[in-house]
Order: sequence, then C-alpha cells, then structure tokens
Amino acid sequence: MRKLLSIFVAGGLLLAGAAVYFYQISQPGTVRMQFDAVIGDEPLVFNDARYSNPGGAGMFRIRDFQFFLSNIDLHGEKGVYRVPDSYYLARFDNSSTSYQIDLANVPQDMYSAVTFSIGVDEVANGSILSIGDLDPNSRMAWTWEVGYKFLLFEGALIDGDTIRPLVYHVGFSENRKTLLFNLPEEVAPDSSDALLFTVDVLALFTGKNTVDMVALPNVKFDRDDARLLAGNYGTMISLTPTTDVAQ
Amino acid sequence: MANAGFGSIDKSIATLSLCGLMLIAVVYWFARYIEPKPTPLQGFTAPFVFGNFRVPTDNPLTQEAVELGRRLFYDRQLSGDNTVSCSTCHLQHLAFTDGRARSVGVSGKMLEFNSMSLANLMWGPQHFFWNGRVDSLEEQALDPIQHPDEMAQNLDDLIDELESDDVYPGLFKSAYGEISAENIARALASFERTLISADSKYDQYLRGELKLSAEEEMGRKLFMAHPDVKVSLRGGNCIDCHSQFLTSGFNAQFDGFSNNGLDAETLLDSGLQVATGQATDRGKFKVPTLRNIALTAPYMHDGRFSTLEQVLDHYNEGIRASDTLSPLIMEADNQPQNAANIRISLNLNEKEKRAIIVFLHTLTDHGFITDDEFSNPFDVDTKPDA
Repeated sequence: MRKLLSIFVAGGLLLAGAAVYFYQISQPGTVRMQFDAVIGDEPLVFNDARYSNPGGAGMFRIRDFQFFLSNIDLHGEKGVYRVPDSYYLARFDNSSTSYQIDLANVPQDMYSAVTFSIGVDEVANGSILSIGDLDPNSRMAWTWEVGYKFLLFEGALIDGDTIRPLVYHVGFSENRKTLLFNLPEEVAPDSSDALLFTVDVLALFTGKNTVDMVALPNVKFDRDDARLLAGNYGTMISLTPTTDVAQ
Repeated sequence: MANAGFGSIDKSIATLSLCGLMLIAVVYWFARYIEPKPTPLQGFTAPFVFGNFRVPTDNPLTQEAVELGRRLFYDRQLSGDNTVSCSTCHLQHLAFTDGRARSVGVSGKMLEFNSMSLANLMWGPQHFFWNGRVDSLEEQALDPIQHPDEMAQNLDDLIDELESDDVYPGLFKSAYGEISAENIARALASFERTLISADSKYDQYLRGELKLSAEEEMGRKLFMAHPDVKVSLRGGNCIDCHSQFLTSGFNAQFDGFSNNGLDAETLLDSGLQVATGQATDRGKFKVPTLRNIALTAPYMHDGRFSTLEQVLDHYNEGIRASDTLSPLIMEADNQPQNAANIRISLNLNEKEKRAIIVFLHTLTDHGFITDDEFSNPFDVDTKPDA
C-alpha cells in the first residue's frame, strides 16, 4: 500500500516537473537586435570633420543621424511573428555608437529570417498617435500634413574657410524600404546571441548613386532628391559577418 | 525541580514572545493607520496631441501634494529673509514669468537668466533650467531656494520654520508624512505638473472648434515649415526646434536644446555644456515652450529681446555664426542661396513675419492665467480681512 503511494507520489512529482519544464520552454522570450554604425571602413565619430565628401571636395562632419526602423517580422518554422507596434527610432549618439532593440514576448520558434523597414508605413505616417517611438512632437515630425522624416542626417561640409550646412531629411511614404535578411543561423528567443547588423552611414551617399555634397548639400521636400537618397539608404544595413567560434 | 524550573522559564519566554509579537502587530497596525493615504488627483487630463507623459512613481499626483505645493510656491517663508517666493519671478498673469529681462531675487542682483514660463512641464525636454543642468522638477525645485541671489534659504532653517508653522505640519502629514527637503521638492514639483495650458485659440483650432483667420493660418503654415526653394515651400523654420503641438523643445535626450545664433563664437555662453561637459553643446540653450509667448516678454535665456518683432528679426536676419550653430538655422533660406557667398538669412518678407507673430498670439491661453487652481492661496486667506 505504502509502496503504491510512493510510486504515485514520485510519478506525480515527475509529471509536475515535466509540466513546469515544458511550460517554461514554451513561454515567449526576448530577441535582441543590435545595430552598429560605421562610416565606410571607419568608426562613426560625431562632430568631427574627418570624412571625405564621397562625390567631391571637402570634409564632412555629422551632428545628428537617426532613422525609423519599423514593422519587424520574424520568420520561423511555425510562421511569421509580427512584432506589435514596432516603431523604433534608431540613434547612435552614444559611447558605443550602437542601437539595441529588445523584442519582448517573442513566441518560441526557430527563426531563420527577419524583415523590417527603414521608414514608416503609410497608415502610421499619416497618424498623430504616439505609438512606439512615433511622436508627433519630436524632431522627426515634419508637419502633421507631411508625416515623419524617415531618416535625418545633419552636419556640415568644410572646404577651406567655407562651412556648408548639410541637411538631409528624407521622408514620404514611397521611400519606405523593406529589407529581408536570411540569418546565418536560426535563432530562438532567449538565446544569448543578438542579431547583429552593421549600419554604414556612408552608404547614404554612395549606396546606388554617389552624392557630391557640394552639389547636393540638402534634401528635404524634393521628391526626386528624396528618392535618390532613399535608394541609397536601402543598402546601408547588412548582417554583421560572424567570425567562426570553435565549437 | 530543575526540569520544572526550565519549564517555567520556557513558559515565560513564550509569554513574553507572544506579548512582543502582539505589540509589534499593534504598532504595525497603528503605523499603517497613521501613515498618510493621500487622494489621487481627480479629473486630471491633457490633450492627446501632447503625447505621453510620466509622473515619477515615488511622487504620484495627489490632491494633498498639489495643495501643499501650491501653498509653498506662493509662500515667502521659502526665502531666507521671507521677502521672496517662487511666485515673485513666476507670476500667473504673465504665464508664470516676471516681465524682466533677467530676474531679481533677495540679493537685488540681476540673475544670469530670464525667468522661464511654467506650463506643460511634463512634456518637452525633461532637463530643467536654461542650461538643462537637472533632470527632474523635484531636483529643480530646491536650487533657487538655496541660491544666494535668488531665495538664499538654508534648507534646515526652512524645515524648522515650516515645523513651527500652524498649517504646514498638517499639510505635510496628509501629503507625505514628515517635513523634509525632499518632500518640499516633491510638493512643489506636483503643483508645477498641474500647470497645463491647453485652451488657447490654437488648441481650439486643433480640436476643430474654430477656424483660424487667414493671417493666423498663413502664420501657422510658415511656423510649421522648413523652407525649401526647390519645391517653392516658404517657411519660418520654427518647427525645426519648437514641436508642432506643444511648441516646446523636443523631449528625447537633449534634442530640445539648440544654439539659435544669438552670439558669435567668441561671445558664446556655455549653455548645455554645463550639463553635459561636451564642447559640442556650448551655446545651446533649452528651447522653451511658445505657449503664451505673447505674455512672456522679454525673450531668450538672457531676455535680450523685448518684443516678438525683435525675435523675428533675429531669426530672419540677425543670426551670428558659431561652430555649434544649428545647421537647420544655417541652411534655412526662402531665397536661392548663392553657394559662393553664404549669408545666413531666412529671407521672409514683412507680411510673413507679421503672420507668424499673429499666429504666436493664438497660443495665449486666458483660462490658464486666470485659473483659480493655480492662483495665490494666501489671497483667498487674507481677502476677507482686507
């Protein structure tokens, strides 16, 4: 009798343990995305005229650089997980010139690809609701009528004694660029590895078309100019190559 | 016998422990009973276009805290010689400014800065003072009280004064508990958070309750645009620093601080550099809210301009170049630039400048400057005797 009871108790405990284990591994977890900014082969340093005008004379410096990263989708074996309200303002004015997003409550799955946009979708771009980092009272708001700047680059071009302000504000719904990245290895939530991306700020001026900052020191509301820079920023983000670690 | 002896000691220990536990329970219950349970502030709202705001979790908005803060704000006991209160330099009928270029406190010396308007303080830059040197209203509150030229009050002396007052011990007890520097700061911050200006003509326009006049609308459009000659868009460039609905500086990090070209390189004040230690922040000052701007002259951190016309003239043709000058100000021009000879000017015409000023007048909120909730509580106390 007593033996039978022990077996029941032991079996019950085992079942409970297994239930807790399976409950835990089925719980949503966190996926970290990290974006490290560079300028071509050089590190990003703000407020220092150390970079050459890619298309002409002079050296440029960067006072501010930020852009909207939105509509993040994680593609897994069980399907696509769309991160809710995913509107992030990526900025790099910090000591590590990197920007991190921790996606919380991501369902357990093996994710093999990720898509996201540079810019903001048309619905959010025409709204004045504060969702995620969208804030109609922020510096990224152009005006209520026009929507958001998708990308902001401000600085100066210095050529001898001449200091030219550089103002590149790129927006308009047609300039949202959706990017797809196939991950080198599948990622599950709560794994210690972040998804690592490199943002090459120089690609804004060299990506598809090389820009001479003397000829084009600002881009604001002109649609052709905006399209030109958007074509370039569509190439600025890449997966950071991983160095193989001994298994 | 020995056993019996131990037994009785055990018994007394048990009894004592029980009594002790009961005593602790009673004290605990009593402590909970006497601990203040302030009432959350009722009916507190703000327009959704202002966006999200945050009240510190360790200083929730309560009726008791706001009442206490309002009394402290208007109380001259807060200064060393009991002649100056916060409201000396922050007068409600001037949207909580003082009409002076630079304020004057107990020392009679002119201070370094112009008195800032106190409105909608939970939005916009959460770094306070013109140079952004503190990061909360609580931190801000104690600074002028102790400043030798402003209120010159020793905090311990102030606490003694308030403790011997007829009213304050009760007010503090119901709002926070004890009278302390921390709780003085919390109460002042709570009162300041309630100072919301959201019923100007512009607000009524945003709510769809009225139409702006043709000139106001022209001014609004100029306010909200960075000029672009390539697409024939004329703009006053205001929105590059003053957000569209709040009209304050931007909230994120130090985005709400700017060098707006008041001084050339050699005369540039430190400004935000005081807070961040960065040379690239030299000459940047807090972008203030433009709510009630028609009431808050003189303008700029040092009150150098006495009229809005002078302010517009400054932005239109008076910008001084320096290394940290905003590139948006440098670049903004309503006329095609001659690349070889860059002269910083907005090139607005007289009609456009006037329209912007007319629009700025729609930001005046008469309800705000006459709201009884924000007025001097001592006036109410003393009026029947007067």
